Amino acid sequence: MKYYSYFPGCSAEAAASPLGLSVLPVAKELDMDLAELEDWNCCGSTPFGSVDKLAAACMAARNLALAEKRGFDLVTPCSNCFVVLHSANTQLKELPRLREQVDKALAVAKLKYSGGVRVRHLAEVLYTDITPEVIGAKVTKPLKGLKVAPYYGCQLVRPNGFDDPEFPHSLDELVASLGADAVSWELKARCCGSSLVMSEPDVALELINKLLRNAQENGAQCLVTPCPLCHINLDVYQSQVNSKFKTKYNLPVLFLTQLIGVALGIPADALALSRNVVSPMRVLAPYL
Amino acid sequence: MAETMVKSPAIEVSFIDEVCSIPGGEAIRSCIQCGMCTGSCPTASRWDYPPRKAIAMVRAGLRKELLSSNSMWFCASCYTCTVRCPRDIKPADIMHALEVLAIRDGLSTKRSRTPVMYKCFVDSAKGNGRVYELGMMLKFFLRTNPFAALKMAPVGLGLFLHKRLPLKPNRIKGVGELKAILNEAKALGGAK
Amino acid sequence: MEPKIGVYICHCGTNIAGTVDVEAVTEFARQLPFVTVARNYTYMCSDPGQDLIRQDIKELGLNRIVVAACSPLMHERTYRRVCQESGLNPYLFEMANIREHCSWVTEDREAATEKAKALVSAAVRRVYYQEPLETKEVPVNPNTLVVGGGIAGIQAALEIAGAKHKVYLVEREPSIGGHMSQLDKTFPTLDCSACILTPKMSDVGSHPYIELMSYSEVAEVSGYVGNFKAKIKKKARYVDVDKCTGCGECTNACPVEVPNEFDLGLGQRKAIYRPFPQAVPNVFAIDKRGYPPCRVACPAGVNAQGYVALISQGKFKEALEVLRRTMPFAGVCGRVCTHPCESECERGKVDEPVSIRSLKRFMADYELSVGREKATPIERTKEDKVAVIGSGPAGLGCAYDLIREGYPVTVFEAAPQGGGLLRWGIPEYRLPKKVLDNEISYVEELGVEIKTNTPVKNLEEIFNQGYQAIFLATGAGISQKMGIPREDAKGVIHALDFLKQAGLGIKVDLGERVAVIGGGNAAVDAARVAKRLGAKEVSIVYRRSRAEMPAVSTEVDEAEREGVKLHILAAPVRVLAKDDRVTAIQCIRMELGEPDASGRRRPVPIEGSEFDMDVDSVIMAIGQGVDKAMLPQELEYTGGGTLVVDPVTLQTNIEGVFAGGDVVSGPADVIAAVAAGKEVAISIDRYLRGVDLKEGRPTPIKRVKEVSKEGVEAKARQAMPRLDPEKRGGFAEVELGFDEKAAIDEAKRCLNCGVCSECMECIKACEPEAINQEMEDEYEEIEVGNIIIATGYDAFDPSPLYHYGYGRLDNVITSLEFERMINASGPTAGEVLLKDGSHPRTVGIIHCVGSRDEKYHEYCSQVCCMYSMKFGHLIREHVPGAQVTEFYIDLRCVGKAFEEFYNRVLDEGTIFVRGRPGEVTDLAESPEEEGKLIIIGEDTLIGRQRRIPVDMVVLSTALEPRADAEEVARLFSISRSADGFFLEKHPKLDPVATMSDGIFVVGCCQSPKDIPHSVAQASAAAARALAMISAGSIEIEAATAVVDEELCSGCKICSDLCPFHAISFDEEKKVSRINDALCKGCGVCVAACPSGAITGRHFTVDELMAEIEGALV
Repeated sequence: MKYYSYFPGCSAEAAASPLGLSVLPVAKELDMDLAELEDWNCCGSTPFGSVDKLAAACMAARNLALAEKRGFDLVTPCSNCFVVLHSANTQLKELPRLREQVDKALAVAKLKYSGGVRVRHLAEVLYTDITPEVIGAKVTKPLKGLKVAPYYGCQLVRPNGFDDPEFPHSLDELVASLGADAVSWELKARCCGSSLVMSEPDVALELINKLLRNAQENGAQCLVTPCPLCHINLDVYQSQVNSKFKTKYNLPVLFLTQLIGVALGIPADALALSRNVVSPMRVLAPYL
Repeated sequence: MAETMVKSPAIEVSFIDEVCSIPGGEAIRSCIQCGMCTGSCPTASRWDYPPRKAIAMVRAGLRKELLSSNSMWFCASCYTCTVRCPRDIKPADIMHALEVLAIRDGLSTKRSRTPVMYKCFVDSAKGNGRVYELGMMLKFFLRTNPFAALKMAPVGLGLFLHKRLPLKPNRIKGVGELKAILNEAKALGGAK
Repeated sequence: MEPKIGVYICHCGTNIAGTVDVEAVTEFARQLPFVTVARNYTYMCSDPGQDLIRQDIKELGLNRIVVAACSPLMHERTYRRVCQESGLNPYLFEMANIREHCSWVTEDREAATEKAKALVSAAVRRVYYQEPLETKEVPVNPNTLVVGGGIAGIQAALEIAGAKHKVYLVEREPSIGGHMSQLDKTFPTLDCSACILTPKMSDVGSHPYIELMSYSEVAEVSGYVGNFKAKIKKKARYVDVDKCTGCGECTNACPVEVPNEFDLGLGQRKAIYRPFPQAVPNVFAIDKRGYPPCRVACPAGVNAQGYVALISQGKFKEALEVLRRTMPFAGVCGRVCTHPCESECERGKVDEPVSIRSLKRFMADYELSVGREKATPIERTKEDKVAVIGSGPAGLGCAYDLIREGYPVTVFEAAPQGGGLLRWGIPEYRLPKKVLDNEISYVEELGVEIKTNTPVKNLEEIFNQGYQAIFLATGAGISQKMGIPREDAKGVIHALDFLKQAGLGIKVDLGERVAVIGGGNAAVDAARVAKRLGAKEVSIVYRRSRAEMPAVSTEVDEAEREGVKLHILAAPVRVLAKDDRVTAIQCIRMELGEPDASGRRRPVPIEGSEFDMDVDSVIMAIGQGVDKAMLPQELEYTGGGTLVVDPVTLQTNIEGVFAGGDVVSGPADVIAAVAAGKEVAISIDRYLRGVDLKEGRPTPIKRVKEVSKEGVEAKARQAMPRLDPEKRGGFAEVELGFDEKAAIDEAKRCLNCGVCSECMECIKACEPEAINQEMEDEYEEIEVGNIIIATGYDAFDPSPLYHYGYGRLDNVITSLEFERMINASGPTAGEVLLKDGSHPRTVGIIHCVGSRDEKYHEYCSQVCCMYSMKFGHLIREHVPGAQVTEFYIDLRCVGKAFEEFYNRVLDEGTIFVRGRPGEVTDLAESPEEEGKLIIIGEDTLIGRQRRIPVDMVVLSTALEPRADAEEVARLFSISRSADGFFLEKHPKLDPVATMSDGIFVVGCCQSPKDIPHSVAQASAAAARALAMISAGSIEIEAATAVVDEELCSGCKICSDLCPFHAISFDEEKKVSRINDALCKGCGVCVAACPSGAITGRHFTVDELMAEIEGALV
């Protein structure tokens, strides 16, 4: 058993609930103890850092302080939480003035953070700690013949990534360990527009369209991503892309944990497959 | 963004110091203006002043013109510029620093809805300790363009039907504690 | 004499005085013991400053001097000279560094002043103890070593040789010329690189004062300035430099093609090659990298790469010659070998192994189809007769090798025809008898006598007939029994008996239903023969899984295709018979348990799972044993019933009697038997010549280390044409063999792992007999006075910049690749071509790839702007109307006529876009972009992002330090700067010397630079070396170590540690002694000496202790 503190992030409880729901049964199968950080708060996300740097650092620091009490690596399945918590963690080490201010603010709530937490992304933990070999050995329903486009998005691999920031390979290896064919496609680590999909939908929908087209042209039957924001854009907004660009995409987008779960033989219900907007049941039917 | 001669009253020479003092903005002086950031940016075509030019404007002291532009608000934080920058100056972080200054001084543009969205997000996260997506979305559309909300209705419905849009906020136990921390941060006067 | 010390404190302008209170330090110095005078002055190193010291020595009678100023590296020599000129021994002088150690490292005036005082105090106390020392002069060896034969090395060598001093020029490639020889035109004058370089190269080649050591590397360097020793490794070139005329006939004969590194892999070269036509020396070299895996894997060591390479060139006859150098059985092994070579074939890592066995068969088929000429008998040069008993593959393999050594060999065979199990054990459809007959005839034609119908039981008789050595190769011809009830019933026949009878055409009545027991080749052969003899239902019963069947898997496939049924995981328990005639066989089902000793999972019977198979006959094929009855009694046997032999020599317990093949190993495959025969041939030859049988055996094999698979495109192996299953009623051969085209295509799949295939065709082609395939690396020691290092640069590999698409997108190439492409003698003969063979209409050139980038190289590579512009000009010259766009950050045209060249290409129409592009992609977003490469970047001068579609992208890649720069630096004891290039002594005032006296760095190994700068540096270094040669001698450090012979205990610890080999041992007096000329005063021996017998002059304990005390005051 490997032990971690777990930070689900706000999306995993709401718009990306298939992620939050599928993480736990998969972790159990893989002998990971993911203990949810008690009373965690929003990491601050990009908006906080763009509005008020100190407040943003405090949002992250409260979580880091709570995690430090428990003493394990802080693991999040959300790429945005990962970047925000990881960067805050680094800044608190490198910028003494910021650290001093944050210390003062945290002291109000009798909290203290001394820089002892390592922030990690769940995908990195699966790849590095659990390893594709071990996951592969636990596969009971090999996804033979399934063509999966691994979509890394941005913040899993940039700027703090554990993998090549331009052409990563870790998800490809994880996908292959499940018996599926990892589709090689040029845009696998390119931007989906992130939260601009709300404020500037034209920009984001254009980017999403490029991604879906490139994945489809390379023969993908579905995409897999670890990131909730990417998932929302590619899955939930796929119909918007279709109506705006007169396209006919019907590409299911799975969370990494959902795909692993299927291969490990976890029932569809437990993986919340029915919560995916573009239904994955058609392509997954042979393996369920 | 008129292309006129830049005269002294428009120039605020301390602008670059100001950017340097914000966490993430420190490295701006090292820029060699090669253009790698703009060349790598997936949204650069929308920016009034794309990233390299924005950095040049910081150096030129064109503070008001830059901070009231739509530029940095199109940054989707993909960090492609950051991993490719040959001088390791982290342009995305510099853009975030510019956003902080724009909001602080009330200069943020109305030609992008991103500043409003960010503020709605921050309010929501502050109020509950976690983001309440439905509430935040409604507030954002009301503040910007209620009609755009109609266009987005199918998306919201899709989320709702797939049990991905909880109707109630998820409030943390320590929300009071969190507010106290943030109030203290405010009292400290922001990051220096 | 009372010490009288003068202390002089330098202001160094404001460098020191700006921070250190020099007046206070001077006042402090005046108070120190024995200080007669203390002064300060603005520039102590200036003439008036020096005069101050001179005057004081004269007038005040000073006998010790301290100067507190800059680093001793700068001016120690200056002040020592001042002392010397004033009649004072220069070692009575000490320098305190109050600039680098005080004023330059702090802005705190008080602290700097305090530290300056401490340093002055330390120097004053130290100088009190200093003693006069005498410097020595040593002669300078007038020879010079130049390392690297690029333009810089060539220039340096020519300059020195021009002054009639000997130069050794060492170049690791087969030719000198370096990167410059790869370039087309040179900027800004556009003169042809080869045209200006080749005259210099040929001057080097023919110069009486230059000894060119090409294809060589410096292995070791020792000694010191004026007196270096270097060990040069002359790599085996396999071509005699003196005999080779450079005619090139060898390359025409060579069948091996590999990517040509001189053309960056864009073109091909042969295994025997010279990098380019103007090479100096104009001598070929063979690229030999070791044995290919196929050859290593073959028990008999057959040179598969050799014959495969020749087949690929259509040289089928020559290919067969290669095989026959090892063994005579192309047709036999080409059909029935278990081909371990194919399992090891590197091609298998790309797609599938090369069909080596089928290619071997093809050579034999080809020879038979064109008609084989009778072999010429081999002359018997030896008298000792050898007897081989048994004419199977082991016996004939041995006889073949011995006859070629000139021994008279007789083979005794009990059967009416030769061939052993090859004849009696393998059915006709798999190995036609005529193929076997042909190969046996070949062996006979060479002179081997085969006496058939001649069983041998008594070895004594053979010896009595005058044979000097005997090889027992009688095989394992007896079928083993299973030991189950009723195995003796009628209708149970053993596979070997069955196959032999069938082979002889004797009718065997099998009935309709036949069960074959076993999973080896004999079982499969028997089943397929039974089918051919008319049995309706033939089943193979095997106790393990199908994957574990020892039979060749394609044979099993064919058997199934012919209708043979497999019953795997089943074993017979008893034969059921009625009236002594088989009616059925009872079997039990098995499952796989734990792995056994062979690593295979042991089959375990499943209780109660017995079942009956109704059959008319049973063929037992469960193994063969040695027939002891056929062998003399005095031989020793193992528990398994095979002969005991020495594992290396294969000699039996009887002297002069050897054994090998199945009689030793038990039933094995053909190639193992041949291998055993060959091994015995070596033993017998040694035995008869009276040479030790074991020494040097087995010979170590150098397997090739790495095999590049770069750019190899997957291509399936040629399918073996087979007879239709419906037409397989008789015994016609099932596998039909390759035709010529299929054979050539298949052979071309070979990756040529060892590069040189040792086919020896070059030897035949070389009239001057310059080729020596047995050549080995040689070492030569040379002595030189100076060393000039000119090892050049590596071109940056842009693959890590994924976003520029190099290696991923077609038509993204590097600048050096472009140089080769545009060169008239390059792989495209000077045509600028896209992958599809067309000319590009638009080309984008991206500057600064790998340069000016903290992720790769922070420095500017200095030449890229200019060569990129040169490309702009050349592209338009070669492809009229082509549009060239250059993407730059800053244009650096800072040389003579560089700006003018920029203006020229601007006028010609090259477009310049300022901005480092973000990426290159082939994902089109508009019809104009379809099929193009799109450069996405910011045009920073208009401040907008642009997408620029082009046909070709050239990446102007950085110049970087050689991959082995660190090893070279260590070899010559020189340093590297932060950028990895070799560090010069002083960046401005001594840019070609290094911190190691007598060692110079020139050209791009020091930093990126263009040709004129490399040439200028080379000339400068040559001048420096010549100055030393001309002076004839140099002064060496007087601060050496000295041994107090009274105290020396003779332990020799010092001599082992001395890095300069300066310490020798006087065997008579039993003391160590230090050679002043070799000692560098490093102090290692001083610290190591356990009895404190060694003193470092000028670094005595008294001096050092006083210095420390002074600093602490």
